[in-house]
Amino acid sequence: MKPFFLFAILIAALSLGPVPALADTDAEVAAHRLALDLAGAFSNDGFKLRDGNYSGTLKAGETALVQVNLYAGNQYWFTVATADPKMMVSINLYDETGKLVKTDPYTNANRVAAGFAPDTSGPYYVRIADAAGAGATYCLIYSYK
Amino acid sequence: MIVSRLILTGVLALTGLQAWAAAEALPQLSPQTLAQAATPDSFTVPTPGELLAALNKVGKPNWQAQYRQPIPTAYTSRPQIALNLGGLIADGYIAVEAEDSQQVKNIGKDIMTLARTLGISENVLRRGKSIEDFAENNEWSTLKEELEATQNEVKLAMDEQHDEELTTLVTLGGWIRGTEAVSGWITNNYSEPAAKLLRQPAIVGLLRARLATLPAKTQEDDLVKGLDPRLKAIQAIVSFSPGQTPSQADVKKLNKTAAEMILSIISKR
Repeated sequence: MKPFFLFAILIAALSLGPVPALADTDAEVAAHRLALDLAGAFSNDGFKLRDGNYSGTLKAGETALVQVNLYAGNQYWFTVATADPKMMVSINLYDETGKLVKTDPYTNANRVAAGFAPDTSGPYYVRIADAAGAGATYCLIYSYK
Repeated sequence: MIVSRLILTGVLALTGLQAWAAAEALPQLSPQTLAQAATPDSFTVPTPGELLAALNKVGKPNWQAQYRQPIPTAYTSRPQIALNLGGLIADGYIAVEAEDSQQVKNIGKDIMTLARTLGISENVLRRGKSIEDFAENNEWSTLKEELEATQNEVKLAMDEQHDEELTTLVTLGGWIRGTEAVSGWITNNYSEPAAKLLRQPAIVGLLRARLATLPAKTQEDDLVKGLDPRLKAIQAIVSFSPGQTPSQADVKKLNKTAAEMILSIISKR
């Protein structure tokens, strides 16, 4: 009875579908490295790099949205990169009312960045979109000073 | 040479304008869309260093005045240890702003002691050694990044030990200690630009939501139980509209509530 019970639990667990990967994928690691390369240029200008990153994969036409909380007076650079040069993404920043805010753009092939210095402290939203219509694995990081 | 630089500058400006024109065509995001945004701790909750950097631009804080007495490091409750680890990391940022290498080293040692009591010292110990070395060499900029890396290392170790819920408490401990220090300085050196920095409605909302999802056993902990009512009071103070400025009395009230929270977090039970 007991072995059968354990077997049933195993079958039920397997039927739940794929287990999410605990580690970053190779493409995410590669995208992270490329994003760090670009952010390194901002570090030379006194920007501190946050240790965290936000990675994922966009299917064709998909977007990703992440909340950040910024302080007035600080300057920020949001950098996103994709591992594959043919896969391109765009980056935009929105305020807490959902209105697009003007940022300093930087584009270099599959790496893009948006610079911003908020007048108001509070939540903002970084939107990453698939720009080439082919899907993309991306990594987003940010720096501040 | 000058002509080619002018052309390059013109091209970059034009590219920027084109990018902005394309972006301008994007629709406004609805409240429903904003509500679905991802909120990973390590990205959405700013480090204490970001808040201190912003305050440095509106005043010249005497960071040493924001030090506190060394806290106990022999707790037995894991939630309490997690909260205090976060607070100590915030103390590390304050000591870095004060460019006080001895204080940074002292705090680094306390972080290691607390981490050991959670049994997560292996990788964190290496960070502790780095903190000591960077402090010895006065590498203040690197230290800020090292402190955040230490915090993330602590959280990673907690995840590996199936203590995921404690990571929220580390974040909360750091945020509340940073808020206590900054509101303390602003109370005594009040200015409108400084007071406006305290506007952080989404962070408190996020932390409260995270607390609400903690396992029942953790929520029943007396210390954890007492956090939400105080966070609710803090949320009311820091959720002013973008055009408003909190009064000096508001800032003082915020500082008092944050200080009470810190006192409850460090008190041995």
